[in-house]
Formats: sequence, C-alpha cells, structure tokens
Amino acid sequence: MSEPLLRVEHLCQYFGPNKAVDDVSFEIQKGEVFGLVGESGCGKTTTGRSIIKLYDITSGSIYFKGKRIAAGTKSYKDRIREARKECREASPERRSELEAEIAKLREEIRSARRDHEQCDKLYKDELVKEVREKYAPLLENAQGEEEKRIRQEYDEALRIAKKQRYITQIQMIFQDPIASLDPRMTVMDTIAEGLVIRGEKDREVLEKKVYDILEKVGLVREHANRYPHEFSGGQRQRIGVARAVVMEPELIIADEPVSALDVSIQAQVINLLNELRHEFGLTFLFIAHDLSVVKYFSDRIGVMYYGHLVELASSDELFAHPLHPYTQSLLSAIPLPDPLMEKKRKRLKYDPLAAHNYGSEQPEMREVAPGHFVRCSREEFERYRQQLGLQSPEDEKQ
Amino acid sequence: MSENNMNVMPSRTEQKTQAEKKLQVHNLRISFRTSAGKVQAVRGINFDLMKGETLAIVGESGSGKSVTSKAILGIQAGNAITEEGEILYNGMDLLKIGEDDFYHLRGDKIAMIFQDPLSSLNPIMRIGKQLTEAMLLKSRARRKSSRREFAARMDQLSKRMEAAAPEKSAEISRQIRELKELEKASVRKEQAYQAARSCAEEAETECENILYLIGKNAWKDLSDAKKVKEFTRRSIHPDVMPEEEFKQIREHVDALTRGLRACQKNGDFSDKASSVQAIQECLKKALEREKPDYLEKTWKEAGHSESLEDGFMKEFRACAETGIRRSDAEYTERRRKALEMLEHGMETLASGGPDALIPELGPVCRAVDESIDPMDLVKDSMACTFTGNMKYLTSRWREGLRSNGRKEKKYLREKARAEKRAAKGKTWTVPAPTVIDMDTVSSNMERVISGLKDHYEERIAEEGTEDKARKTEQVIRDLEEKAAGMAARMDKWTARNKALKLMEEVGISEPRVRYRQYPFEFSGGMRQRIVIAIALAADPDILICDEPTTALDVTIQAQILELINSLKEKRNLSIIFITHDLGVVANMADRIAVMYAGKIVEYGTSEEIFYSPAHPYTWALLSSMPDLDTKEKLEAIPGTPPNMIYPPKGDAFAERNRYAMEIDFEQEPPVFPISETHWAATWLLHPDAPKVDPPAAVTERIRKMKARAAEVSGNE
Repeated sequence: MSEPLLRVEHLCQYFGPNKAVDDVSFEIQKGEVFGLVGESGCGKTTTGRSIIKLYDITSGSIYFKGKRIAAGTKSYKDRIREARKECREASPERRSELEAEIAKLREEIRSARRDHEQCDKLYKDELVKEVREKYAPLLENAQGEEEKRIRQEYDEALRIAKKQRYITQIQMIFQDPIASLDPRMTVMDTIAEGLVIRGEKDREVLEKKVYDILEKVGLVREHANRYPHEFSGGQRQRIGVARAVVMEPELIIADEPVSALDVSIQAQVINLLNELRHEFGLTFLFIAHDLSVVKYFSDRIGVMYYGHLVELASSDELFAHPLHPYTQSLLSAIPLPDPLMEKKRKRLKYDPLAAHNYGSEQPEMREVAPGHFVRCSREEFERYRQQLGLQSPEDEKQ
Repeated sequence: MSENNMNVMPSRTEQKTQAEKKLQVHNLRISFRTSAGKVQAVRGINFDLMKGETLAIVGESGSGKSVTSKAILGIQAGNAITEEGEILYNGMDLLKIGEDDFYHLRGDKIAMIFQDPLSSLNPIMRIGKQLTEAMLLKSRARRKSSRREFAARMDQLSKRMEAAAPEKSAEISRQIRELKELEKASVRKEQAYQAARSCAEEAETECENILYLIGKNAWKDLSDAKKVKEFTRRSIHPDVMPEEEFKQIREHVDALTRGLRACQKNGDFSDKASSVQAIQECLKKALEREKPDYLEKTWKEAGHSESLEDGFMKEFRACAETGIRRSDAEYTERRRKALEMLEHGMETLASGGPDALIPELGPVCRAVDESIDPMDLVKDSMACTFTGNMKYLTSRWREGLRSNGRKEKKYLREKARAEKRAAKGKTWTVPAPTVIDMDTVSSNMERVISGLKDHYEERIAEEGTEDKARKTEQVIRDLEEKAAGMAARMDKWTARNKALKLMEEVGISEPRVRYRQYPFEFSGGMRQRIVIAIALAADPDILICDEPTTALDVTIQAQILELINSLKEKRNLSIIFITHDLGVVANMADRIAVMYAGKIVEYGTSEEIFYSPAHPYTWALLSSMPDLDTKEKLEAIPGTPPNMIYPPKGDAFAERNRYAMEIDFEQEPPVFPISETHWAATWLLHPDAPKVDPPAAVTERIRKMKARAAEVSGNE
C-alpha cells in the first residue's frame, strides 16, 4: 500500500490527570473521508485539534505525507524512568544494556522534539534551498537588465518560501459558523487572511482567488464585502468552508460542520463538501455525532469511546457488522424517520464493566476481518471472528 | 383571506372527537415590530392538543414554531404583537389574560424545556435549590386556589342537594364542614409521617453506603456515622419508629459511633459492621410498616362509630348524585336559553352587521356567563372566554369606526404630497396606514358566536348520554384533592424529598449527592435531565419541549427521548414537541404539524406524515436528510426561507418548490383534507392539479420502510 496521507500512531493527549485521547492509531489514505464518531467528551474533537497542532500532544506521533509533524515524549520519558529504576538493582551486564537503551530513548526524545517544534522550519528551509538552487545558475548567467529582473523574481520567491508553513496543508472547518468568524472582518478579509499570512501581497491575485472560491462554495462576488452577521447560518458555514479550501489544503478536518445547521441547510453543506471533495481531490477527517450523516459522507469510520478508538471499519462494514458493544449501542440509538420501526426500536445500553471481562489483560486493537479493527481482548477477538463466520488465525495455520 | 379559510379548518371539524382537549389554538397570528418593518412570524395557525398526546411541530428555524410555543407560555419578546387569535386553556384565553394570572399557570400548569440546558440553569445556585424553588414558591398560591375552587364547587353542590333533599342536606353540610377541619389535621399528620419516613430511608441508604465502604475497607469520612445518628433520631414517629424501637437502635448507633477514631487509626472497621447491620435491619423493619389512612384515623378519633367510607361517604355520594343531576338539568336549561340568544345574535349580525349586534350584546353575554357550570371539572373554554372576546371585538369595532377614516385621510394626504415630490425627482415612501380591518372584526364576531353556538348544540345533545355516577365520582375525587391541597403546606424538607424522588424518576443516579452540586458539575445529558425535572416539579398538565435534544449527541438524545416518552405515559402529560429533526419526531409524536413561514402546511398523525406525505415541503424535508441507506446525492432544499416582512403573495414555499405551479405564485392554497386526521395546504391536491409523485428519494424510502415493517411483523 502507498504511504497514507495522514498516519496517527499511539496518539495520547492528556490534560493533567484527564486522558482525553489515549492511544489512538489510524491512517487516512489520500482522497478518502474518514469519519470519527462518538458521544460528546469522547475525545474526537481533541483528536482533530491535536492533528492540526492546536495542542501539543502528550505522546505518540502524527505523520503527514510521510513527515512527522507532531510528536510527544511522555512514553519515552516513562520508559526511561522505568529503566532507571531497574538499573539500580540490575546486574552489571544488564545495567550497560539498560544504559544503552536510555541513551537511545534520549535520542528519540530529541528527534521527537525537533520534529514537533521545527517541522515548519525544516520545510521552510527546504523550500528556501530549492529556490536558491533554482535561481543560482540563472543569476550567474544573466546580466544587466535581465539580472535585475531575475533578482527581483528571486527575492519574491525567497520571501514567499520563507513564509511557508508545512501545517497549512491541513485546514479545519469549525462547528459553530457564528463563533468561528470574526464579526469585524469582511468575508474578503476572512477568506484572504490565510493567503496574506502565507505571503501573498498582490491585491488582484487575492481578489481573484477569493471570488473564485466564493463561486465554488455557492456564494456570489458581491458577498465578499459584507460582514458575517449579514449571512444566514448555511451561508456562514459556506464562508467557513471557503476559508479552509482557499488554502489549497490536502487534508481538511471538519469538526461537526453541520451539527449547528437546520436540516435543509445541512443537506446543502454536505452536498457542497461532497462536490469540493471530488473537484479538488480533498481528503477529509469528518468529526460528527450524527451517524446518518457520517454514514452518508464517510468511506471509513472510527468509533471513539472515552479516549479510545474502539472500532474502525469501512462505513458499510461497520453498519452491517458492528462488533464492539459500544458501537452496537450507538447504532441502536440512531433515530429514524419511520414511526413503526421507531416504536419497536430497542436501544441497547453499553456498560463497559458488564460488557467486558478484561481481568489483567489490556485490550488492544486487533484486525478481526480485513480492514475491520476492534479494540478487544484475546477471547473477545475469537468470539468476534466467529460472529463474522471467520476462522481464528490458529485454525487457518493448520 | 385567511378568515375565509377559517371555516374549513380541521380543528373546527374535528371537534367531535371524544378525547379531552387540553389546549386549543385558533387562528393565531403574531408579528414582530422591527426597524425594517413588521415581521409576520405566525400567520394564522390552528391546532388542538389532546390529553396524554404528543404534538410535534416541525420546521426550519424562523418558521414560527418557537414563537408559537412562547405565545402559549406568555413569554414573547417585547416587540411581539398578537394580531389575533386565541389560545384556550382551562377556561382562559392565554393571549388575553394578564401577567398575574399567567404567574399561576407558568411553570405550574404549563412548563417548558428549553433547547440549551446550560443556559437555562442558574450557574450559581445548587441544583437542589433550583428544583425546589418553584415548589416552595407555588405552595401558598396553590393553597389559595384550592380553597377558592373548593368553596365554589361545594357551595353549588350543597345548594342543589338542599333543594333535592332538604332533611338530609343540613346534616351533610355540617359533616362536610367537620370533614374539612379533619382533612387539615390529617394532612398535617401525613406530612409528619412522610418526613419521618424519609429520614428513616435516608439513614438506611447511609447504612448501606457505610457497609459497602467497610466491605471495601475504604471508609474514610466518619461523618457518615453522625448522619446515621441524626437521621435515626429524626425518624421517631409512632407510625414509623416508635420510641421503644428507637431505644434499641440508639444502642447500636452508640456502639457504632464509640471508638470510631481508634478504628480509623487501625484501619479496621470490621467489628463495626455488625452494629451497622443491626441498625439497617431495624430501619428496614420500620420502613416495611404500612402507612395508616390518616383521614380515616382522624375521623374515628373525632368520635364517629362508623368508618368514613361506609358511613358518611355513602350517604354523601347518593346525595351528591341527585344534586349533580339537578344542577346539570338546570345548566342545560340555561345553555338552551343562551343558545337561543346566540342564534338571535347571529341573525342580527347577519342582517344588520356589528352595528346592530353591539347594543344587544349585553344580555347575550350575561346569558352565556350564567350558563357556565362551576361543576365542570374541565372548564368550558369557549364559554368562559366568550364575554372577553366579544368585549375586545366590540372595542376594536368602535375604535375602527372612530379612527379608520382619519387614518385613511391622512394617508391620502401624505400620498398626494409624496407624488408631488416624486414629480420633482425625489423618492419618498409613505407607510401604509395601520387601519383596523372591519371585515375581519365582523367575521371574527361571527366566528366566535357560531363557534359557541355549535359547541352548545353539541353539549346539549350529549347531555342525556353522560354517566352521572361517574361524574359524581370524579367530582368527589376532585373535592377531596382540593381539600388536601388546602391543607398541604410545602416545607423545605418535603420539597427536598419530592425533588429527590423526581431526580430518581428522571434517571439521575445518587440524587442525594447530586442535590448539592452546581450545574457545571453535570454533563450535557444530566443537565437536560435536571431541566426536565425542574419542568416536572410542579406537576404540569402541558409540557412544551423546544428542541430539547438538539444540543445533545445521539446516545444521550435517545435516553432523553425515552425519558420524556415514559414520563408522558406515567403522568398522562400533553406534550408539544418542537424540533427540526424529523428522525426524532418519528419516535415521539402522535401527531405532527409541519410549519413553514408561519403557517402549518401539513398536519396529520405521525404514520400519515411519514408514510404518505402530501406537501412538497414535507417531501423536501424528508429527502434532504440522509438515512443509513442513502447513497445518492442529497436533495437539498434550494434557497432560504422567505423574508417574512414581505410574505410572498401565493404559497410561501413556491419559490423553493420544484413542483410549483403558476397558481402557487398567485394565490395562497386552501386546506385540502386527505383523511379525517390528515390535511395539507398545497394546490397539488386540488382535483384539477396535475398528478405529481413525490421525489424518488422519498418514495423509495417509504417503500423500504413499509417492506421492513412488513418483514418485522411477519417475523413476529
């Protein structure tokens, strides 16, 4: 398989003693929509915000297009502490082994810190280097007027390269279209702000880009000079979408983009996101709690419960064969526009203590069927496989 | 134009249904004054709310659903103008009563659950205080109103009884007076009993808790033992825990509290477990005792040899039944008289218009007022509000006569001036005069009179079929309730216990701990449960839920909906459920009203709306939301709702409607009935209209739903 666009490995985000996200791993391939569902407070929004580096993550790594953009150090530090403790009572050979390990872990921490803090700088340096390499021979060969023109071009390119950030290839759409737009900025300013920060100075270019994107999201040019309060809820959310898309991102994190909207407007915004996705080949991390919408929009879905990812599968598979009891209870709670079925519907309750008997064994993500991961213990794993009519891997070997 | 629709309005034709109507909304029109002009938020809607039924109002934001609910609760914004209409509840027109009367209704009879649970709770007040606040505030008002109603009803009943059986009635009246006094004493006693019992319960749960902690070897907070001591002391009561039993318990309690510190130092509480168990057993025994019938007891104590039920009540019942028969016969006669007057009034109105009617209104109103029966358990709203309505309409008519001409003249004058200026090239707009539409006033008069006339005709026809024994039973039960209400005094302790029960009822675990917490210590779902508990604290008749689950996520939403549904069954509540999510509605609603631009465009039972929707707007709503099978592109409703300062001329939905015909832009569609309970306002249902099928997404979904339903019923 090719390198995924986004890879999240053992992401942990703790706020003091509160483990908002705990050991979450998933990948998003280019061009797909990955849905993240769960009840409020389960850490889905925190996951999204950690990816876009609104928080410094506690431990784990996030890779975007193969580059590590965020990394935490807690897991390494914990390991070092343990090793130190062990060191005190260990035999000399073991001690030297452990010391070597500690040194290695220290190196890991250093590299994690460097990646986390300097990924933008490294990216910028790379771009600057590229520009320099491109223009160096040109400048040498050119003379007179020609040289002056090329030098100007070179300065401009260098200036823009210096302003680039790696992280701007990920953009976010927020839930509340009222709160996420500055009431004192016109639509033009709001949408162009990111471009200006990225070094675009030319007013004409900015205007053209803004007008283009406004038309793409179903607004008109005249709207550019208005203020957010002059728009309806759906239109405001379109502005939010335009602001994200104008940066030409590869990944968009949509955090409950339709939850605050009316039903009819919801459909408009979902259709818009769908169109943009096909037109620009965008990849989405779609966070929502409305399961019907997530099912409709996503290719794969991850279900979160109290900071853990408990199940991950393609959307059809997840809805056809929900395995984890929490997923089942979540699916049984979806209200459907069908009075007869609704009257018969039985909501399943999920009680983690009653549903699982983990004992001393820590549950982990296991691939029950191809592409279908469930957080489960060994024994549950066997049971789930039986439910799907698959043989357990031991039997397959024989 | 909407006046003409009035007569075909289903709420009128539906009036024969037997179920008790809790709330009736007729032709409600509400506008808002804004700087840009008058926004017509609600434009003539009609619906009835039956007892024990959920009516869902569905629509986009700005369709007027919240405005309607706020009008029912009398909490409209300051710039709202009630143009016309009536909201009838228990003999009152909620649009015309004053704030003093509303004070007794709001929260007490009609309660509301708001959308955002966080902003509807007071952040600096403990949950317990917020829950009991209303109970404590309302307690005195309730006593007063109970006393008033009891007196009115009793007075009437004893008069009739006297006429029916003069020899017995004097004795009965005397005994009733006595009983009233006894009732007071018995209620006091019962409250004392309840207080003691709840203390015992409290102590019991505390014991349970201590035992659990001892078992886990984790008992840290020793004040629990003090609590047990305190609560057991407070539960001394001859019918809960007699003194001698308490002495026993006290020994155990002393054994428990002695040397606790030492135990804590050792970390070993195991020898305390036995005394806690002993206390718990005693308490359990105390709690198993049956509650004595205090009324009966006081009756006996007052020196009566026969029991209350066999002696006095039997006699009273027989007497009351004859009394009620007499009173009913009398009031039917009065109604007949009023009916004659009304018919006469109609004739006068038809021949001479309001000018001829108004001088004759006095005796008509008097006759109607006299025909209002205080024995009616459910007040006859139409009769009660008749006089008020007529007075209002009369004053409107007179004001119209006085000022309309003047305003018209002024308008013409200003218009002429504006035209002159326009000729000079200046633009100058003249606002249209706010004249009173005399036709509307006169047709409203006709509507009110004919409405009451039809209603009385019906009542007179029904009179013979009524079950008098049952009615007597109901009246007596009501009197008993009122008598109890007169005596019941809500103190803090009783309110607290009631609140704790309520919290358990709405599914808040550990209510005793939660009672002392602040709103921010609760999660979203829990907060919404508290808001529901507060709404239910005063035992309302009608519960208005304004998007109660929109701010919550799926699992919590399902829990809250289940909770509201179960409470509805348990308490026989009538619910108005406002939402924009049709999926939620399918679960809750018995009937659904789909609103668009201030009008109800489709109305029917929930099966009818979901399985055979008729209005294009309902189709659009259904097809614009994805369900679990949706794969194709969603059919979003294009555009936005119309600006209600200038409501569209024809069908308000025409501009966004794929199926709009020319007439939709010209003329407003009337209501077309589809079945007895189902109607829609769209020209598509006109016999001459082309046959149009709902969008494929909708038909496909309905087909699937039907197939699934058939499959499920087949499996069963």
